[in-house]
Amino acid sequence: MKKIIVLLIFMILLSGCGQTKNEVNILNWSSYIPDEVIRDFEEEYNIKVNYNTYSSNEECLAKLQAAKSGTYDLIFPSDYLVELLIDKEMIQTLDKSKLTNLSNLNPNFLNLEYDPNNKYSLPFLAASVVIIYDSDFVDGEITSYNDLLNPQYKNNIVLLDDQRIIIGLALLALGYDMNDTNEEHLEEAKEWLLELKPNIKAFDSDSPKTFMITKETKIGVIWNAEAGLAMNELDNLKVVYPEEGFNISIDNFAMPVNAKNVDNAYKFIDYILRADVMQKIIEEYPYKNLNIKTQELLSDTYLNNIATNVPDDYFKEGIFVKNIDEAIINYDRVWASIK
Amino acid sequence: MNRNLKFICLAPVVIYALILIFFPLIYILFISFQTSDNYGGIIYVFTIYNYIRIFDPVYLKVFFNSAIIGLFVTLACLLIAYPFSIFVSEKKPHIQKLLITLVLIPFLTNSLIRTYGWIVLLRKEGIFNTILESLSIIDNPLSFMYNNLGIFIGLTYTLLPFMILPIYNSVSKIDKKVIEAARDLGAKPLNIFFKVIVPSTYSGIFNGCIMTFIPAIGMFFIADLLGGGKTMLIGNLIKNQFLVSRNWPFGSALSIFLIIVTFLLVRLYKKLGGKLDDLGGF
Repeated sequence: MKKIIVLLIFMILLSGCGQTKNEVNILNWSSYIPDEVIRDFEEEYNIKVNYNTYSSNEECLAKLQAAKSGTYDLIFPSDYLVELLIDKEMIQTLDKSKLTNLSNLNPNFLNLEYDPNNKYSLPFLAASVVIIYDSDFVDGEITSYNDLLNPQYKNNIVLLDDQRIIIGLALLALGYDMNDTNEEHLEEAKEWLLELKPNIKAFDSDSPKTFMITKETKIGVIWNAEAGLAMNELDNLKVVYPEEGFNISIDNFAMPVNAKNVDNAYKFIDYILRADVMQKIIEEYPYKNLNIKTQELLSDTYLNNIATNVPDDYFKEGIFVKNIDEAIINYDRVWASIK
Repeated sequence: MNRNLKFICLAPVVIYALILIFFPLIYILFISFQTSDNYGGIIYVFTIYNYIRIFDPVYLKVFFNSAIIGLFVTLACLLIAYPFSIFVSEKKPHIQKLLITLVLIPFLTNSLIRTYGWIVLLRKEGIFNTILESLSIIDNPLSFMYNNLGIFIGLTYTLLPFMILPIYNSVSKIDKKVIEAARDLGAKPLNIFFKVIVPSTYSGIFNGCIMTFIPAIGMFFIADLLGGGKTMLIGNLIKNQFLVSRNWPFGSALSIFLIIVTFLLVRLYKKLGGKLDDLGGF
């Protein structure tokens, strides 16, 4: 009996320390890279991809912190998370000489404030938050967040379920900075959102386009790609970049410190930066493309829609979410009081 | 050998309970007294601030709303489960087994997927509204979901088996002779029900209520999917501390608070004369 148990324990212990396999561990946003692209990579390079997902930057951070160091080789943090990860020394510097397709990246999106000289990160895709509305339902047009307060829109709006973006939107509507931490301003933002609340049907970040496509809601404040996909389904949808300002974000490639399969991660980045691969990604998830070569391959439907192909001069006006340290407690309170 | 065998048989359960339940709980208790660094990290400085913060009116409101929803769900489950359990317990044994198995079958599918199923049924252009409209019963689609009604429907559906099982358990244990005796002594059906059947199933009722109420205020995904994310349950609040506000100590304090509430409810049950053994699950 004893021998069997000892043997079993021995086997269990052994199974934990198998030899290093040819693999790469990726932690990415959900609905961001089509399965087909991953499968093609696995076949072409004979590298197994272990793919995990998250649906917010905070979840990405939580998963990184909860996992043993070295669990993930490649992550896709947004701008402000990159800044934080650099600050906390959680990601490593990139060796760009290992990337042959680096020149495909649009230089306008390199060397940005959150990571000067792109020492630690390289841009993958960019997104913006837009208003989308059914022009048959809305009398006249919507041009600003304050237009959303119209009582006629009762129970007809879907918003992203994201406290920084939505409270930021209220701050913008009131004429403040999107990353304002002044407590009185936040109190006003809370009141503004409570005024908007009767019009809100739902908060959803996972698939807000579904609310528009099923006509559950007539107005949405959602990601640009979601807006683009909804517009492909319905003809009478209009997209607006609100006059008070709007949120943008850039998601990036980054490698956590102690990553085990660094070379495979570089291969994956280089593969994604290939024009034809990025084309497949954009066709499925039409966020703003940052690859110059891919831009030539994309369809007119994508290129002519300001929701999907966000014009560069619009994007320049967009506002990033910034780290706000302990003020996050006040954001949390506002969020709990409007729900 | 006998003792060794006992030890070996028990060991997996003990190890399981220690590693996956006891130690994590101790860890949660520990970090609930630490300070957050606002980035999901923990600064090891002792504080009771996280527990004081629970009593901020903003969060108390979340507790209050959750409790109201939880109570309605518990009541609805009780009203459905009780007659059902009596109905089942009066059938022949093999029919009883079949019916109880049917109650358990939904567990074979992940509750998240079943919740998505409800979206297809309840939404504006969903199956219920389409049927009601085509039968000309309603002119405009009804709002079954993206409000508290949606949360109520989703929670009642998901938690009903947790109410049925303990109640069925205690109802089926009632000695039929006791009921006959009551009848022979001239008790009317209503009296038999309230004075004989109900009192002998108190433990099942209480067990079912706890097993329904506590998960009801914690099931954040139902509030998000069927309530449109507009109502925060305690579960949403706790989830947000870990995944949005990056404040693990406060999230832990909220979890500990929820555990304390559960214990208090069990204590209340004991005070009222219930026996812990009858609760089975506890």
